[in-house]
Amino acid sequence: MMLALVGATHRTVPLALRERLAFTAEQAADALARFRDRFPGREGVLLSTCNRVEFYAAGEAEVAAPPVEELLSFLAECRGLEAAALAPVLSREHDEAVVRHLFSVAAGLDSMVLGEPQILSQVKQAWTIAQDNRTAGPLTAGMFQAALRTAKRVATETALGRERVSIPSVAVAEFASSVFERFDDKRILLIGAGKMAAETLRYLRAAGGRDVVIVNRTASRADDLAARLGAKPASFDELERELAAADLVVSTTGSSEPVVSLDLFDRAEAHREGRPLVVLDLAVPRDFDPRVGERPGVWLSCVDDLAEACDANRRSRQRELPRALAIVDEETSRFMGDMHHRSTAPVIEQLRAGWSETGEAELERLFRRLPHLDDRDRDEIRQSFDRYAAKMLHPPLASLRSESHAGPPHGLLDALKRLFNLKD
Amino acid sequence: MHRMAAFLSGISIVCFAASYGVALACEASRLVFRSGVRGAVMVFFAAAGLVAHTLFLGWRAAASGTLPLSSPFDWYLLAAWVLAVAYLWLALANPKTPIGLFLLPVILGLVGAATVASREPFLHDAASLFWGRVHGAFHLVWSVSVVLGAIAGSMWLLQAWRLTVKSSSAGGLRLPSLERLEHVTSRTPAIAAWAATAGFASGLILNAVNHRRGLMETVPWTDPVVMRMGLVVAWLIVASQWAAMARRRPGGGRVMAWLSLASLVVMAGSIAWGLAGTTRHGRPAESPLGVADAEVVR
Repeated sequence: MMLALVGATHRTVPLALRERLAFTAEQAADALARFRDRFPGREGVLLSTCNRVEFYAAGEAEVAAPPVEELLSFLAECRGLEAAALAPVLSREHDEAVVRHLFSVAAGLDSMVLGEPQILSQVKQAWTIAQDNRTAGPLTAGMFQAALRTAKRVATETALGRERVSIPSVAVAEFASSVFERFDDKRILLIGAGKMAAETLRYLRAAGGRDVVIVNRTASRADDLAARLGAKPASFDELERELAAADLVVSTTGSSEPVVSLDLFDRAEAHREGRPLVVLDLAVPRDFDPRVGERPGVWLSCVDDLAEACDANRRSRQRELPRALAIVDEETSRFMGDMHHRSTAPVIEQLRAGWSETGEAELERLFRRLPHLDDRDRDEIRQSFDRYAAKMLHPPLASLRSESHAGPPHGLLDALKRLFNLKD
Repeated sequence: MHRMAAFLSGISIVCFAASYGVALACEASRLVFRSGVRGAVMVFFAAAGLVAHTLFLGWRAAASGTLPLSSPFDWYLLAAWVLAVAYLWLALANPKTPIGLFLLPVILGLVGAATVASREPFLHDAASLFWGRVHGAFHLVWSVSVVLGAIAGSMWLLQAWRLTVKSSSAGGLRLPSLERLEHVTSRTPAIAAWAATAGFASGLILNAVNHRRGLMETVPWTDPVVMRMGLVVAWLIVASQWAAMARRRPGGGRVMAWLSLASLVVMAGSIAWGLAGTTRHGRPAESPLGVADAEVVR
């Protein structure tokens, strides 16, 4: 066994247990140091996020990867848990399944929100921590580099991570950005001071929004949120004036009646000088009279519109899943083929050395019998011998490479050893 | 030197039209599948087409010793070249926007129009050459402005429709924001109106110069080319004023988008009229009347 994996993910392990299993960066470094001492010569990478804790181990030849049960005990020990309690819920994988799993994880196919991109930076961070703690090696290096390549391919060749799936992100990145090119010169008005308002403002800030005014019935809450988010509070009585000045309105109050009636909007509209207005009405019940959206130059989206867009984006991601999985399969086969071929290196080395040795001996004998040859002639003859050896070795080596794609080429290796009398 | 000349003279319209066609196919494939290399392939073919296009026009200019504005054929190809430069620049600056889906068909249309347009050069002497170039250049500016405005207007309407039906994406197309598109549709009517007026005025001067020197007969006010250009200029002035007023009113973006499209329709109508009518425009004094050439806006 060259590769092993023990892990807990959001699919199989409840949050309470995942929390107990989770590692901080310092704890991960400490665990890797312990791994190095406990399993010398083996490679190990620990990936710990809020949705998963996974330990990847690798080893070659006589220092094979640790058995998964030992790895499980090690993980439990690191977190001060009973291995017996973890055994029923932790997943265990070997060799090809480990590679396939890591590639899926890096590409966001195993994430809670399909295709989310943050996991890729977490995978990179896990690899960096392993490098810093000297538990990374050639096998894990190849596997993690291939995982990053797979994630990049999935991101560029499919639309999996393209569409956003949360209401505030869709509201800002798809609707508001479809109307406005930039937000740094726009007046943003938040009506309400709830969590949704704060979350939407976070996306608006990321998109460049600077000039933000918060209006709330309870002035103290508007003041608090404004202070927290670097915005300006305004009195609820100034709503009409603020509406006239705003380019983008995010409304999230808990009011049971519309906060912005058609009359109120029409009065504000008279002072807007025809500027377009984007309204993201994220409140339930709605804060804006729906007829406001029929006014020219007003782009009104309510929570249902945005939820529909989110659902459509989720479905779009699901539709892309088969293509993404095909890429993962392709990259897994490629990596496994390379890894199996890598295991044939000692035999290839012996084969080449044997031919080279025999060739050298023959050349020496020939040069002794033909002493009149000058250096140029000798070089010519030597090059001919080398070319001959390379051509003769090409078919068996090509067969070995080709056979490696289907799995470890044990049969072919045995045949070569017997035919050419190679020692283990 | 001889080899280079042979190479340049061997470049045909098919070379760059085919390259633009491949770039358009790549743009269209955005609707079907995603690809990591498509952008590079698209830009490569568009750039290759533009290089061939430039060499073709350069070779014609060198062979005739004048600017590539000396015949309707050259004029169409130059207009297509300007739009191709605009396309390449926009494609590089906005790789995710399928601008080619809107621009490349127009470019190919102009190249196609060139193949049926007259290659016979307009008559000129030293004085009329200057006014002829001014006349042709202004017509090039307003025509390109109208085309770019109409493309921005159609994208505005598509984007507005997408927002109205609350669709998060229009068949995989990432369109520019309404604000950016309005930036174009609010400016192109004024540019087109000024350039068309200047082109019309320089045409009158050119007509007078040619007539005084006996190079051409006077083109009467009732000539189809003069009439249709007069109407086009009048429309573009009205459209630019209309757009300026709409800009400060609610829903002005939609008005400007429709005005941009209407200007394209007026231009297309003018082309059709030019193809159907008879004209003395650009004809030598001895030339018999009757057959309309395919020259349109010059």
